[in-house]
Amino acid sequence: MSDPIDLIIQEAELALQSAGNSQELGQIETRFLGRNKGLNELRRSIGTLPKEDRPAFGARINQAAEALNSKFTAKRTLLEDQELQQRIESEYLDISVPGRPLPQGSLHPLTATASLIKKALSGLGFEFVDGPELELYRYNFEALNYPADHPAMDEQNSFFVTDELLLRTQTTSLQGRIMELRQPPFRIATIGRCYRYEAVDATHHHTFHQIDVFMVDENVSMADLKGTLAAFARSMFGQSTLIRFRPDFFPFVEPGVDYSISWQMPDGRVRWLEIGGAGLIHPHILQSHGIDKERYSGFAFGLGVERIHMLRTGTDDLRLYLENDLRFLKQFSSSV
Amino acid sequence: MQVPLEWLKQFVPITESAQEIATRLTMGGLEVEGIETEQCEERPLVPVLDTYITPNRGDCLSILGVAREAAALYNVPLTHSNGAVSRSVGSDLDGIHVTIEAPDLCPRYAARIVRNVKIGPSPGWMQARLKSAGQRPISNVVDVTNYVMLELGQPLHAFDLDKIEGKRIIVRRARTGEELTTLDGVERSLTPEILVIADANRPIAAAGLMGGADSEVSETTTDILLEAAHFNPLSVRRASRMLALRSEASYRFERVVDPNGVVRALDRACELLMEMGNALPTPGVVDVYPIPVEPVYLQIRHERASFLLGMNITPQIAVECLTRLGFEVRDSGEYITALIPTFRSDIRIEEDLVEEIGRIYGYENIPETLPDGAASAGGDSEEGSFLTKIRSSLAASGLIEVVNHSLSGPSLFDSEEDNSSRVRVRNALSTEVSMLRRSLLPGILETAKRNAAHGQTAMHLFEVGRVWQITGDNTGDSVPKEYSAAAGFMSGPLTPPGWMRTGGDEAADYYTVRGVVEQLLRLLRIEESEFLPPANSAQIPQFHPGRTAILSLSKQYPAAGVVGELHPRLASTLGLKDRIYLFEISLEALDYTAPKGPPRYASLSRYPSVTRDLAPRVHQSVRYAEVKSAALSVDSPILESLRLTDMYAGDPLPEGIKSYTLSLVFRSASRTLLDSEIQEAVDIIRARLMERCSAKFAG
Repeated sequence: MSDPIDLIIQEAELALQSAGNSQELGQIETRFLGRNKGLNELRRSIGTLPKEDRPAFGARINQAAEALNSKFTAKRTLLEDQELQQRIESEYLDISVPGRPLPQGSLHPLTATASLIKKALSGLGFEFVDGPELELYRYNFEALNYPADHPAMDEQNSFFVTDELLLRTQTTSLQGRIMELRQPPFRIATIGRCYRYEAVDATHHHTFHQIDVFMVDENVSMADLKGTLAAFARSMFGQSTLIRFRPDFFPFVEPGVDYSISWQMPDGRVRWLEIGGAGLIHPHILQSHGIDKERYSGFAFGLGVERIHMLRTGTDDLRLYLENDLRFLKQFSSSV
Repeated sequence: MQVPLEWLKQFVPITESAQEIATRLTMGGLEVEGIETEQCEERPLVPVLDTYITPNRGDCLSILGVAREAAALYNVPLTHSNGAVSRSVGSDLDGIHVTIEAPDLCPRYAARIVRNVKIGPSPGWMQARLKSAGQRPISNVVDVTNYVMLELGQPLHAFDLDKIEGKRIIVRRARTGEELTTLDGVERSLTPEILVIADANRPIAAAGLMGGADSEVSETTTDILLEAAHFNPLSVRRASRMLALRSEASYRFERVVDPNGVVRALDRACELLMEMGNALPTPGVVDVYPIPVEPVYLQIRHERASFLLGMNITPQIAVECLTRLGFEVRDSGEYITALIPTFRSDIRIEEDLVEEIGRIYGYENIPETLPDGAASAGGDSEEGSFLTKIRSSLAASGLIEVVNHSLSGPSLFDSEEDNSSRVRVRNALSTEVSMLRRSLLPGILETAKRNAAHGQTAMHLFEVGRVWQITGDNTGDSVPKEYSAAAGFMSGPLTPPGWMRTGGDEAADYYTVRGVVEQLLRLLRIEESEFLPPANSAQIPQFHPGRTAILSLSKQYPAAGVVGELHPRLASTLGLKDRIYLFEISLEALDYTAPKGPPRYASLSRYPSVTRDLAPRVHQSVRYAEVKSAALSVDSPILESLRLTDMYAGDPLPEGIKSYTLSLVFRSASRTLLDSEIQEAVDIIRARLMERCSAKFAG
């Protein structure tokens, strides 16, 4: 008669060979190594042996169990590797198929442009302040040194609500409000909506958005204006952008200039593009707000938000900004 | 202003090309917007500089004025002499008597008389020049007045001498009820705000604007009175507006004409008339000029130009620039004194001289520097940062930002009452843009409608912007107020269509739009908010009465906004397949309610949480808000959160009964909770739900 331990080992090894997957292997393992099964069942029969044989028998069972165990472990590793391999092979996707779409919100190009502007001017030490769109005549014109009923206002045809209230024609209207409240030095910027009584076409609109930037401090000169504008323009339009001044007239600055940036045209030539007005804050404005014009001077400049976006992106129609054609907006959903 | 180049070159010796001259003038401050080449009869192509003159430079509204600028910029002398000037004979000439009754509106009135005039066409050369400068030739006398105005900038008018009644010229305010038919054939009622030239009996011209038809030069005219006067710019501008009448003359007078150029202009006109035929000017000129305008002296300190321009301007440079402009200049060692000619009335302060020096010397010489001194830390405004948060939240929820006009017409969306509280523009371009928006929603709906017409189906939009409303102030007056608001539009699936069959393709509904609003509130850390049913459907007639909530934020803002479905009656006009959900919220209310500053840290519990579900069944009429508030009213210290995880009605529940599944999470910051105390808390909540909401529980 064969030894029962050898018999179980033989039987177990045979079964182990035949195991086709890890699940089967687990069942086989239980059959031979489970509690009260196989070798462990045999272990219980130890009481039937003569006392002196018991330790040797026990040691043999332990040995056999250990040996079987490592065989099972080896086999399991093998099977699991195979199964993982199979699973992976069965899981191949057509990775050329498009992904699951997600809701895609976006900011309007004017908002996105405004935040670029804010970043650039904040870096130059300008603090943003907001003013009302429905503005007092006084701030829109009188506080800006417009002589009463002057032809200069012809270029600022306004929508009036009452004699005193109009829709601001320029964000420059904030200057008087600030100078009433603050003493220099200050560096202020504002972005907002302006209105002019104008028929709408590709380059004109009754509603548009404007940036106004101004500062008052000791020793502020036209050179500081040019340097600040250049730094700003470079962050908007590229590091090689140049600034050019040309004499112009705005009642709130003296000297007054318009400024152009160097701009590379599609044909490769570089042209000057006029993009805004600027100058040193008119001494009458400083004096009327109790600012000593001998000690302090200041500059101001303004430009259009739409214009910046148009230049940066090649958009050629001002009307698109307030039309909100989603086909237009989606072109700029990533950035400007 | 149209400047024919050959005419300009008669006044200033420049030989450069039209393009070069245009660039130089533009860079000097006279913007040449284009160069036109006009083909005139029997003459070669004439380049014409189309020049934009800024409103402060009335002195440049003539060939002479542009020539003066060109002379300064090219540093060459003017070639045209001032010519002989007629002797003033006071207020009487050849039987005509001139009186100024309103010297504040007319500081100077001069006239010459020309007899033996034969009316006919002007010579070809003059017609050609007038045409190239944009004027239509009419007759020799009229053409001469226009020609001199274009050449010297002084408007002239010719009266038929025989038609001046009583041999008197009186410059006075019109009398109420007086009328005048102007040269354009329009009969005009006059008022005392309007200055007129009158004869003994009646007005014969609107001063500075246009002559009268009655005293017009005609084919039968033989003797004329030529007028050259100086009128107050403001008076001409006002009269022009009152009469809705603009002319080349009024354009110039509004922008200030040199009061000392009148006699020269009259002489030039007489000279041209004499050249053209046997016209016989009476010697001498009537010149009523009670207080002559004198050139003014202005000082500029040596360091001032360098200081303001930010470049080194030596006294020599300053003197040269000012001299080139035709100013008489004296350098006293500390400052320069300049004598400002009367045609430069725009130069009145030291800084004006700084500008003149800067532009003649060349702004291209200004270096680029950055301002010295302590700059504050720049940055966005509080309002700006707040709006950025709002926009980011809404965009992150998948909405696309739109920016609409603030001006709109009366809208379907607004009730009569709403429209009456809208701010109206007095001088609207059209009805469609006659009022300031009171709400962002009509604009967004219009935008959606336009896009739907392009074939857009699913749309999820938001706008942040200003709105206006007339409200009573503390004194009871009605005043327009400006607010900021955020609004949204949602229709169709929020997730774009993909190829998968399931997931995310449900059209947006009340819960979607509310989710967007709740997400915004969460981002702003607004914890207390309620979505209440409208008091009655008349409160918000634009919305579906059963699918709309009023957002209540606090006692301060019990109606901070509205969230819900567009009324089907309005929705059908948009042409969209799916239902339309909207929200609009006052940003003032959000800003007021949102806690300021950074969030406070709360320590994290190290102990495990336990989740228990509770499924109360209540009558259909019991709103979830009541169930939730009943559960929370227990105020259990160990209840960490309560969340609705399911809502069900239908089989096997009886008719009229619905069931909510609440997921309750319990946790303590200081210990592991015992099963018994959790059970106790659940039991209390369950009892409270039974008591307050007549809730029943299964099993």
